Amino acid sequence: MSGHARDLLNNAAWEVTRLRRSRRIWLLTIPLVAGPVGSAAAALYLKVPSVATAQVLGLLISGGLSALIVLDLTALAVGEDLALRTHLLTFALPQRRSAALAGRLLVVTGGALGSYAAGAGLAAWVAGQLVHGVSAAPPVLTPLHLYLGQFGLLVFLGGVVAAAAVVTRSASQALVAGVLAGVLAAGIASSFLLQHQLGPTFPVVLGGVGVVAWGWSLFEYGRLET
Amino acid sequence: MATEALAADHLSKWYGSRPALADVSFRIDRGESVAYLGPNGAGKTTTLKLLSGLTRPTSGFARVLGIDPSGERDRALVGVGTLLETPGVPPFLTGADLLSYCARVRGVPVRERPDAVRRATDGLVAAESLRHPFGSLSTGVARRTLLASVLIGDPEILLLDEPTMGLDPAARSDLRKILRDLVRRGKTILLSTHLLEDVQEVCDRVLFLRDGVLVGDEPVQPTAGPTAGGSVRTVRLRFATPVTPESFASLARPSLRVVWEDPRQVLVFFLGGDPEQAELVAQTVRAGLTLIGVAVPEPDLARRYLEKVGREEAT
Repeated sequence: MSGHARDLLNNAAWEVTRLRRSRRIWLLTIPLVAGPVGSAAAALYLKVPSVATAQVLGLLISGGLSALIVLDLTALAVGEDLALRTHLLTFALPQRRSAALAGRLLVVTGGALGSYAAGAGLAAWVAGQLVHGVSAAPPVLTPLHLYLGQFGLLVFLGGVVAAAAVVTRSASQALVAGVLAGVLAAGIASSFLLQHQLGPTFPVVLGGVGVVAWGWSLFEYGRLET
Repeated sequence: MATEALAADHLSKWYGSRPALADVSFRIDRGESVAYLGPNGAGKTTTLKLLSGLTRPTSGFARVLGIDPSGERDRALVGVGTLLETPGVPPFLTGADLLSYCARVRGVPVRERPDAVRRATDGLVAAESLRHPFGSLSTGVARRTLLASVLIGDPEILLLDEPTMGLDPAARSDLRKILRDLVRRGKTILLSTHLLEDVQEVCDRVLFLRDGVLVGDEPVQPTAGPTAGGSVRTVRLRFATPVTPESFASLARPSLRVVWEDPRQVLVFFLGGDPEQAELVAQTVRAGLTLIGVAVPEPDLARRYLEKVGREEAT
């Protein structure tokens, strides 16, 4: 195993330990529960006219909660050590810092994306099981497009928060930056939606920005001076 | 021939327009225990950060086992354990979590990790304490756990920044004993501290730093002392009647030297700490000498510290 892969895996395991000890790991179960509950409420309580509408509601709930989770976990994974000065220990160990951070981000972002994928999928399935009405009017958003598009939003938020945490060396300030980025993304998406111009380009661009921000975070983290 | 463990070669570090370290050069050989003394802001921590690759020099070079830590940080740090300032650990993590992580990163095989943890914590931290979250540990136990995390993997070089800070006197004494043991085991130690007692008990040599400039590099005990390596303690013994060299024949050993100040008073230099001092006093009494006083002389080191770096911060 190469040194980079070893450092990445060691720190992925370390992040799992941190999530387990802090009990933050339970946050990852929220989309799994809330998405299907949202779809069920839409079907049974709101009595929405179509499966697709119930699915959209479930997907929005899963996506929104997953966004909060990716913000929180990423901000803490990057910024908590820098704020507490735990990095004085971890930076002094013989390991590649960028690979170490990549391992930790892999767990928190991968965990949040996985949780969203499963929760949103479950929400769509529950809607299909509970709604039997057929409506001629389709929902504003196509469920499949929304499902895929929200991955772009989550990657964007993860990348922006990671970069903000490296710059500010603080989880709380990174979280604020992430919330502002989320509000900005939602505002732009709403604007496109009202103009009937919300296509696949927007989430792809968001995802691209997130990936670039991740890459920058890994690079800068490796060069941080204490 | 002594081989180099650590070196600073015209090392300078500027933060903006303020120099933290100015043209500092020294060499520390393998097996040496060296104190780094100076007031706050003198550049001690900056030097340790430069040696451990946590910051890059503005000019000059640092070398760790012949490797430049600012260029090949990961390779240079393989044999180095560093404890800098007071790193915080998230309160929900346990000592066992931290030690396990350090062992994994240092490449200790899974099967050997329990043994590695036991060796690193032996005499430092009770196994029971390792199971508790950091948030529930006392300052002393947390500090000892951090030191144990540095010892994981048995690094050859230890860079320690105020390791006894925040400890009560008993814990400080225990920690000094552990550091002395590490010196006896051949570890190279660079100890940054304000506490002259730490220096006298642990170190062979002292570097004085003032305003980022190295102003002194000399042995901790410049007067007559044992020739063997290790930490040297000095006590002054006073007797009711004059004593002769023959009176001390039963105490003779290579690690002990006696210097007469007057016929009834001697300075004894010996290797070790409190237990060795207690044994020395007991042996003196058993030898039939009428001992009426035991004192630790006013440390010469304090005087030299004040001469080199000024009055502030002297401990």
